[in-house]
Amino acid sequence: MAVGWVKRSAAHHAVSEIERVEKAVLETSRMQLHKLVEEALPELEMMIGWAESSDPLQTTPIFIRDAKSISKLTCGPLCSQNLTGYLVKPPALDSVPKDAKPIGICVKGCDSRSLVALIQEKFLTRDRVRIFGIPCRGTVDWRKVEKRVQLLNVKSATVEDDWLILDDSGTTHKIALEEVLSRKCLGCRYPNPVIHDVLIGQSATPRSTDLATTYRDVDAIEKEPLEQRLAFWQSELDRCIRCYACRNACPLCVCQDKCIVETREPRWLTQRAGIPEKFLFHFIHAMHLAGRCTGCGECERVCPMEIPVTLIKEKLNKIMEEMLGYAAGLDPDAVPPLLTFNPGETEI
Amino acid sequence: MAVKIFIATDRLDSVLEKLSTKIDLLIPASLKDDKSAPTGFVPFVPGTAPAFDRQTTTPLKKALLPQVETLLRFEYHKDPQGSPKSSVTVDDQRQVRPTLVFGARPCDVKALTTLDRVFSNGPYVDPYYVERRKNTLFATLVCRQNDAKCFCTSVGGGPADMEGSHLRIVPVDGGYVVEALSPEAQTLLENLADAPDSARDAQAGQIVEEALKRRVGELDTKGSPEAFRKRFDQTDYWFQMINQCLGCGVCTYVCPTCYCFTITDEVENLKGERLRSWDSCMFYHYTLEASGHNPRPTKLERYRNRVGHKFSYIPERYEGLLGCCGCGRCIRSCPVSIDIRQVVGHLKENTSE
Repeated sequence: MAVGWVKRSAAHHAVSEIERVEKAVLETSRMQLHKLVEEALPELEMMIGWAESSDPLQTTPIFIRDAKSISKLTCGPLCSQNLTGYLVKPPALDSVPKDAKPIGICVKGCDSRSLVALIQEKFLTRDRVRIFGIPCRGTVDWRKVEKRVQLLNVKSATVEDDWLILDDSGTTHKIALEEVLSRKCLGCRYPNPVIHDVLIGQSATPRSTDLATTYRDVDAIEKEPLEQRLAFWQSELDRCIRCYACRNACPLCVCQDKCIVETREPRWLTQRAGIPEKFLFHFIHAMHLAGRCTGCGECERVCPMEIPVTLIKEKLNKIMEEMLGYAAGLDPDAVPPLLTFNPGETEI
Repeated sequence: MAVKIFIATDRLDSVLEKLSTKIDLLIPASLKDDKSAPTGFVPFVPGTAPAFDRQTTTPLKKALLPQVETLLRFEYHKDPQGSPKSSVTVDDQRQVRPTLVFGARPCDVKALTTLDRVFSNGPYVDPYYVERRKNTLFATLVCRQNDAKCFCTSVGGGPADMEGSHLRIVPVDGGYVVEALSPEAQTLLENLADAPDSARDAQAGQIVEEALKRRVGELDTKGSPEAFRKRFDQTDYWFQMINQCLGCGVCTYVCPTCYCFTITDEVENLKGERLRSWDSCMFYHYTLEASGHNPRPTKLERYRNRVGHKFSYIPERYEGLLGCCGCGRCIRSCPVSIDIRQVVGHLKENTSE
């Protein structure tokens, strides 16, 4: 077999292994993915990946149990969703008995960190998943595309070299990929999956290797006077419609139906749609992710009101890195600092 | 004789300002300084640039059914014997101001026909809704910007459908031709601007003609109520359709026809308010019963209900009326690209699949 399972690779993956898989005979990542999934599917309960949707600019998750559907699988810059949340939520969680075969899943670099965090917090054991790692050069934010060209009836969207090429009602738009990448991608340090069983395609070069680049948006806000920062968040959060897409999309928001903003007994938050309620919700969400958030940006990606909600979590992540030297979701064996209790702690 | 005026683009702000002295105005506009930001209907203040070039992100329904409204205020009173809640006074006074929505889209206004059936046509009449409904007029823009997610003509509407509208706005070269469709609207147009010249009037006529003919969307909803009933118990079908659903409330909150609400009392000491706020059938708590039982325990039952409500229960109850106006917002905003057209379209396919 030309490409086999790379055994139990952990974080900080060796470059040689990446190269080994790159030399695989398959020409394109997509074909390689199909081949690998085809080989693996008999050993899997189901395969979770991305497929084309009715909008060529966006992909949709697909849950494959039948080899017939493998051809629908796709990968690349249009696969922006982090799929790992499905591992701990229905249907993957409910429909799969505990002794069932592993679940296959496609992950980009950022997604793989969520997977690590889920393993760290014991929501998942490593042997329950077969990880198809896909090095990532950044994902497209369709809203940024929409701001550049008026989208009427997109017939196709393809990525060629550094360009996103759209065919919209007979007009071809050629847009620099760089200009329509998601905000989180621009400071990405981990484009290559930190955990995987197999890698697909060529390894990607990190856009950032330092905190200053990764947290540039946080730094920019922190330079503003306090009143302006408050005004910024009030105006941004004012748009919130309390649809909770940010919460439901978050792979690490694990309270599910017991979320503090909806429980009736006790009722912590009123139904009012004022800024105080929205503020409280978003900051509770962020605080519950302190030291856990891997910065995958799902909360921001799904927000219909374009509120930069990941930024709040980025601030916490920055504190974690600066104070405790800890970034979430890198090492499955590490214990996150806020999940430890040391009676002899002297530093706090 | 219909009253028509022409508003030049560069005079739009001053004309709206003049109009706003006669009636409160709601206009579609960006919800932050950035013009390309999400849009919604906001009260007009001079200088607000209307966003007529695209459909608003949030729907018009909040003009009649706000996301949160105070139904009443109450206060308990102690009696001299010391019983803390021996009597209660209730105050449900409210003020509704006449409002004109300037620049709604036909799909948004069409959606109100569904809300009307529920809130004003009995047997239970909602006074809060009815009061706002009576006091709100609609100046509707003939739609020229439908995109791949629009499907208004598939569900009984159309880009020039003026059902429920009081004024028609036609975007023409250099501005807008606005025509009164009802007597109260005629009064509003008086002394606002001149009549359009014959060339613009003819252009407006052509645009309306073209929009009346335009088909938007290919969904065939005929037979959906029966097809839905057949599919009801086919769990595999629903799993296949909505496996990816995150169970958030985006689709219901951006939907112009979703009207479900919850009522809560917000009490502090002896005083409180009874609030009505939007609810979403996609939420776990929506059908959670006091016993702890939940008849729709998973997203499957919840999403199925959303489809059934719009394409089976409402048409069966209200003579074929659909609970969908084809605006496409749920498709545009869904974080996981669920397309309700596909779910409804596939209902009628070979059910043995």
